[in-house]
Amino acid sequence: MTAVICPRCAHETVDHVATSPVPGVWDVLSCGRCFYMWRTTEPERRTRRDAYPESFRLTPEAIAAAQEVPAVPPLRTAR
Amino acid sequence: MAYDDLRGFLDTLEREGQLLRVSDEVLPEPDLAAAANAAGRIGEGAPALWFDNVKGFTDARIVLNVHGSWPNHALALGLPKNTRTRDQVEEFARRWDDFPVTPERREDAPWRENTVEGPDADLFRVLPLFRLNDGDGGFYLDKAAVVSRDPDDPDDFGKQNVGVYRIEVLGPNRLAIQPVPVHDVAIHLRKAEERGEDLPIAITLGNDPVISIVAGMPMAYDESEYAMAGALRGAPAPIATAPLTGFDVPWGSEVVVEGVIEGRERRLEGPFGEFTGHYSGGRRMPVIRVDRISYRTDPIFESLYLGMPWTEIDYLVGPNTCVPVLKQLREEFPEVQAVNAMYTHGLLGIIATRKRYGGFARAVGMRAMTTPHGLGYLKVVIVVDEDVDPFDLRQVMWAVSAKVDPAVDVITIPNLPVVPLDPASSPPGIIAKLLIDATTPVFPDDRGHFGTPVRDLPETGEWVRRLQALRSEELP
Ligand SMILES: Cc1cc2nc3c(=O)[nH]c(=O)nc-3n(C[C@H](O)[C@H](O)[C@H](O)COP(=O)(O)O)c2cc1C
Repeated sequence: MTAVICPRCAHETVDHVATSPVPGVWDVLSCGRCFYMWRTTEPERRTRRDAYPESFRLTPEAIAAAQEVPAVPPLRTAR
Repeated sequence: MAYDDLRGFLDTLEREGQLLRVSDEVLPEPDLAAAANAAGRIGEGAPALWFDNVKGFTDARIVLNVHGSWPNHALALGLPKNTRTRDQVEEFARRWDDFPVTPERREDAPWRENTVEGPDADLFRVLPLFRLNDGDGGFYLDKAAVVSRDPDDPDDFGKQNVGVYRIEVLGPNRLAIQPVPVHDVAIHLRKAEERGEDLPIAITLGNDPVISIVAGMPMAYDESEYAMAGALRGAPAPIATAPLTGFDVPWGSEVVVEGVIEGRERRLEGPFGEFTGHYSGGRRMPVIRVDRISYRTDPIFESLYLGMPWTEIDYLVGPNTCVPVLKQLREEFPEVQAVNAMYTHGLLGIIATRKRYGGFARAVGMRAMTTPHGLGYLKVVIVVDEDVDPFDLRQVMWAVSAKVDPAVDVITIPNLPVVPLDPASSPPGIIAKLLIDATTPVFPDDRGHFGTPVRDLPETGEWVRRLQALRSEELP
């Protein structure tokens, strides 16, 4: 079996998050970089890098440029 | 009939033929979301959907589309299931006048039956989580009533907020939340972050149907959602004290998740298919740490599918958006007859009003754009005469087609605020707004040839009754 990579951003560190209560049916995995989460039994368009739609893919640049919402406000200063 | 919990309401839905149990084995993805998506594509009156045979799970109980049709919304308010939409909105507005109704504190909350804490507080062990749409970044809790308090005024019951905010599961005890800056939880979070603190939070899942309606309703900052639930139910809302945060949470919740929004932290969230029928996301959002989960034995996981409208959310937030705008307009303009702001959470609204004098109708339309909800929504406002039913789109289109002179009755106002989620806004949060005055001009506005309208014949009312009677005789 080839190593699992993130379908969305192609990151190579993938965490194991959960396993099916019925043993061996599925696992839930999560990307260590973009936090994409998926279940191994989902359709290929959600689980395989080569089948993952272009429009949903994320690049390291897009991840780094992500805007903060809501913005963190300044701390109140003691008077 | 007031429901104290989700289970009681599901019993009624089932008795009324408005709950469909899917007993075949289904896959968590894509079946659960696709079925709920399909509920909005099978015509009027769709039922709630119940699943308890989901591959890989041993004891999942999942319900979707609980509010997802007019019959279900009527039953949620304790009305007969065939109540017309406009009548549901009017009854909602009438009950609003009973606000505030003091809630009733109870001790024996069923979610006290089971508790997991600290490292054992694993959401995956309590909830059968699943994905909704292809482009969603993960699994979401999107129908929870989230409770938080004002860190500067933690003892003020009215400022305690109950709201629905999309919540992405990042890990067994990690979540991300989307507080739109104008909403109350964002105000609470800002204050906590200014103080350099975390914001304690209680996420309540699987609630009685009125709690979901008030949690998604635009109310004033210091108005209690529980006191509004009491008015809408016609009985005090049952609440209980959450064990970790001490917050007031619904007595009847299936699951109560407690923890904190970690102050001054943000993490990549989304995207998520939103109520606009478009994805939004790829932004850095606040993060929640889960510390304690309380739950009923055999908890029911309630979720909501949303995608290309109409889906459940349009029914859930339809009437609860119309009524505040109607009430706020009527305070100053008693001429206002009805408001239909059910399109995309009120991005479009239709107002029926009598006219005090020429120009009055468009002034009412502009005022709607400056009501609290209208400020961030009401991008398109159509004003119609008092004899046009804004809930009957055939009549509305007649008014627009016959009454409007595009040279003067169509007004755009540039650069107004709108929810940043509006996919047409540019930059996000800024949009032009459109006012269509489809009312008949009145003195001194003497434009057009409207002096001789064709009215229903005086005998038509009697004939409506005769035809209806004849028809019902013919039916089996
Ligand atoms: C299903 C659903 C999902 C929602 N998601 C969000 C969200 O992610 N962020 C948000 O700020 N409001 C969201 N809302 C809208 C708020 O719940 C609603 O506007 C509410 O009136 C906010 O109340 P508040 O101003 O008291 O916080 C959602 C509503 C519903 C029904």
